[in-house]
Amino acid sequence: MLCAPASLWAATHFVTVAGLGGEAEYEQRFNALAADIDKVLKGSGGDSRVHTISGVSSTKDKLSGTLAEVAREAKADDQFVLFLIGHGTFDGSDYKFNLKGPDITAIELAALCDRIPAAKQLVVNGTSASGGSLHALQRANRAVITATKSGGERNATVFLRYWVEALRDSSADTDKNEAISALEAYRYADQKTVGFYETAKRLATEHAMLEDTGNGEGTRKPGVDNDQGMLAARIAVVRLGSAQRAAADPAKRQLIAKKEELEVKIDRLKLEKAATPADQYRKDLAKLLLELARVQEEIDK
Amino acid sequence: MRALLCFSAIAAPLFAQSPADCRHKAKFGDKAGARACFQALTRSAEPFQRAEGQYGLRDYKQANDSFRLAVDKAPKDPEIRVRWGRMLIEPFNRNKKDAIDLFQEALEIRKDYPGALMGLALAASDAFETKAEEMAKKALEGDPKLYEAHELIASMAVEDSNPKKAIEAADAALKISPEALDALAIRATVEILADKPAGEWLDRIYKVNPRYGHAHYLIGHHLVLNRRYDEAIAQYRKAIELDPDHLHAQSQLGINLMRTGQDREALALLNDAHDRGFREASTTNSLKLLDSLKNFATFKTADTEVILHKKEAELLRLYVEDELRKCIRVYEKKYKMKLPRAVRLEVYPDHEDFAVRTMGMPGVGILGVTFGDVVAMDSPSGRTPGSFHWASTLWHEMSHVFVLVATKHRVPRWFTEGLAVHEETATNSDWGDRLTPSILRALKDKKLLPVADLDRGFVRQSYEGQVVVSYFQAGQICDYVNEKYGYDTLLAMMHSFGARKTTPEVVVEHLKMKPEEFDKAFLAWLDARTKKTVDGFEDWTKKLKQAFAAKKDSKWDDVIKLAGEARDVYPDYVESANAYEVLADAYEKKGDKKAAAAELAKYGQIGGRDPKVLKRLATLQEELGDRKGAAITLNRVNWVYPVNDEPLHRKLGDLLLEQKDHQGALREYRAVLALKPLDRASANHNLARAYLAAGDRAKAEESLIEALEAAPNYKPAQKLLLELDSYKKEKP
Repeated sequence: MLCAPASLWAATHFVTVAGLGGEAEYEQRFNALAADIDKVLKGSGGDSRVHTISGVSSTKDKLSGTLAEVAREAKADDQFVLFLIGHGTFDGSDYKFNLKGPDITAIELAALCDRIPAAKQLVVNGTSASGGSLHALQRANRAVITATKSGGERNATVFLRYWVEALRDSSADTDKNEAISALEAYRYADQKTVGFYETAKRLATEHAMLEDTGNGEGTRKPGVDNDQGMLAARIAVVRLGSAQRAAADPAKRQLIAKKEELEVKIDRLKLEKAATPADQYRKDLAKLLLELARVQEEIDK
Repeated sequence: MRALLCFSAIAAPLFAQSPADCRHKAKFGDKAGARACFQALTRSAEPFQRAEGQYGLRDYKQANDSFRLAVDKAPKDPEIRVRWGRMLIEPFNRNKKDAIDLFQEALEIRKDYPGALMGLALAASDAFETKAEEMAKKALEGDPKLYEAHELIASMAVEDSNPKKAIEAADAALKISPEALDALAIRATVEILADKPAGEWLDRIYKVNPRYGHAHYLIGHHLVLNRRYDEAIAQYRKAIELDPDHLHAQSQLGINLMRTGQDREALALLNDAHDRGFREASTTNSLKLLDSLKNFATFKTADTEVILHKKEAELLRLYVEDELRKCIRVYEKKYKMKLPRAVRLEVYPDHEDFAVRTMGMPGVGILGVTFGDVVAMDSPSGRTPGSFHWASTLWHEMSHVFVLVATKHRVPRWFTEGLAVHEETATNSDWGDRLTPSILRALKDKKLLPVADLDRGFVRQSYEGQVVVSYFQAGQICDYVNEKYGYDTLLAMMHSFGARKTTPEVVVEHLKMKPEEFDKAFLAWLDARTKKTVDGFEDWTKKLKQAFAAKKDSKWDDVIKLAGEARDVYPDYVESANAYEVLADAYEKKGDKKAAAAELAKYGQIGGRDPKVLKRLATLQEELGDRKGAAITLNRVNWVYPVNDEPLHRKLGDLLLEQKDHQGALREYRAVLALKPLDRASANHNLARAYLAAGDRAKAEESLIEALEAAPNYKPAQKLLLELDSYKKEKP
């Protein structure tokens, strides 16, 4: 998939909400997940503005207020990311995220997110029945990830557990650009979730979905075939390395430009792979990769 | 007189004939007469008569409705229910549950009604249940002329490898009715199983009914139970040659052809049986399995043919093919022979597919099965992690292949199973099965069978868990013989069995004592090995419970004392809530990682195989600087659950590469790639490192290009590529 690199200079506004657990075990699990996400995001590189709501403050008012605050602070170039942890319900038409006191519907959440000017948005709804929220939340320039394929999958989910693992695991950074994109984290968490049910020999009660075109049905396997995942690939959720520092160094701008040029050439060659004789493809690819490696070596000096 | 009889048969109104008359015609091979007779019955005004007619014509749906009407009309007649039940347990219908209900209802109407007891006996014998004989005997008390009951007892005696009893029961049937065809078939079976001519008995069958294919079906059934598949196939062929409508024989022919790898003919036969209405579960399931074979890939070498599901073939091939070849090499030396053909190994990720392979066979919780030189088993992915040791199972089944070839399939079940169990632990002491609580109970209650009767314990359980106990006993007997007399004695016994000697004869010849004396000596030896655990079982239960209670209260010293004592009483217990894990927990809580690792190491050595626990041990070993030990531990996981575990293979690859086991590292990194990882870049980079370490620069470069194709900016791969490039420049 050809992807523009994730923006290196914009801020990212994160809002993480651990909803109502109902039982002590769930309450503890949801709050712990929120704390884990909070820790990972705060430890990540880049300009991150992290808001985490959990425990007694997980109310509709608090969530609405926080989203309003982000709406005031965020700029058009920024990214906005919302994580929903907990229980959800779906009655056939409306999805509700369970909070202390009144719940919030997907339509209400969508309206609050719509007021945030950040051009690239990501909503990760990891609750039970979260598939029921997809249509209400989807919009152009917003990637929506749900832990379940529909509102009918009502059991507690494990997807977000693996999502957090993805943010911590450098192997989730499959293109090795030192940032874990929403698409990479989605694929990592989805694969682990599938493995969880297979290994336990349990019938899978959750099937994660991703939709980022604003008008699609959502898919389990985003890719070129279904035009899904392009936006999610451009949203960096966590940054791992020195890419940002290098980009900020004016002395290295020329090398970075050269590097980007080579990356474009490699992507183009990969797109033409099927139409290129195998030997020729390999030879051209090896040449470009070697050149890219040399440029990177210069940048890292 | 003959002419007069014929005339009267034609002149008499057909509906005047009874169902028994129609069945008599069928039994004597008068197919047309039987058909006309049954058709006449279907026109009867009596629903019971109609039901019998429809049943005879295999119009089971109509017959079912007619039986229902008949029961409504005569609710107190037990015979209607019995006949209805008999129809339902036929292979065409296989509705055993409803059949049993009907037999029970008949018994409620009339206590000890022989027909109902006979029905229950048939239903129980189909599932190899012990109560079948009891029921059949009870039926005979009510109806001493019920020769069918003697025939059933005879058949079960053959299944139990008791030819003497089988002959007595068959003769009892023949005394009542010299034309008891199944009794004659049993007499023929006994001769054939002993490799003696059976012509006399077959001639007597043909004299009664020259088209009685069912006799050959019965012989085939017993040959299958004795693992003599090629001969069984010949019998099933004969059965359908004589009676082309014997679809059960046709189905069994198909199933056994499939078992021996002759899939094409099997498919044609099973399809035809299915199209002709034979929808018995094993037929339908076998067809489904044959259809699903398109999803499997075949890998052939000179002496192996491995069949793996495409979704896991790339991964499992790395382990299974190597293990199979290694096993063949070891057994060729041990058994002092070579296999005549390549061994075919089928590995099923869907347990239901594997179950199709074992349908209709005795045994509980079968893990693998051998059909001559075809072995079928579950894939590790078909079971929960830790519940199945695939490598141990493979070596077990492969022992059968060698023993069956060496004895031309003439070997009692107890010996081939015992030797196979012995081989598991002989290969690796932590393989094979452990002493389970159910075995301990059997030892305590002195339920082990005499060696001469041990086969019975594999076929028909007289108590729950007897099959497992019999496997254990047979394995221990082979361990005992190996220890006291040496492995060559085991081989000599095997060859004597192949020469058709019986268990008592073999014991006398090779162990130089009577079977009763052997039982005594063996039990004394076994008692010395197990006494502490058997006697201390209750104390073990109590102490382990107390240890877990102490854990709950964080009383770690108490845990160490109690669990340590429990472990010493019953060291073989490695299932959930075992002493080793709780001891490791306690030691870790006290900050003693070394002691924790030592406990978990004992767990692994004694046969503990939960991947989670073994990985915990590997982590501790690594933390303690024992990286070689960690690699050995993780390698153990590969024999249990190499699937769905990318981190396992990455970690093991790293450890092996570090220890300069380049081939091992290459295998593990290939395993990572076979799992289709999201992070292909680092997986290929690791593979490149291993190739480079193994001195294969070309392959290393190839893998690096693969890594960088997935992630062009992957710095470690870029660095290695630059290194390779400068090396090429230095030494072009």
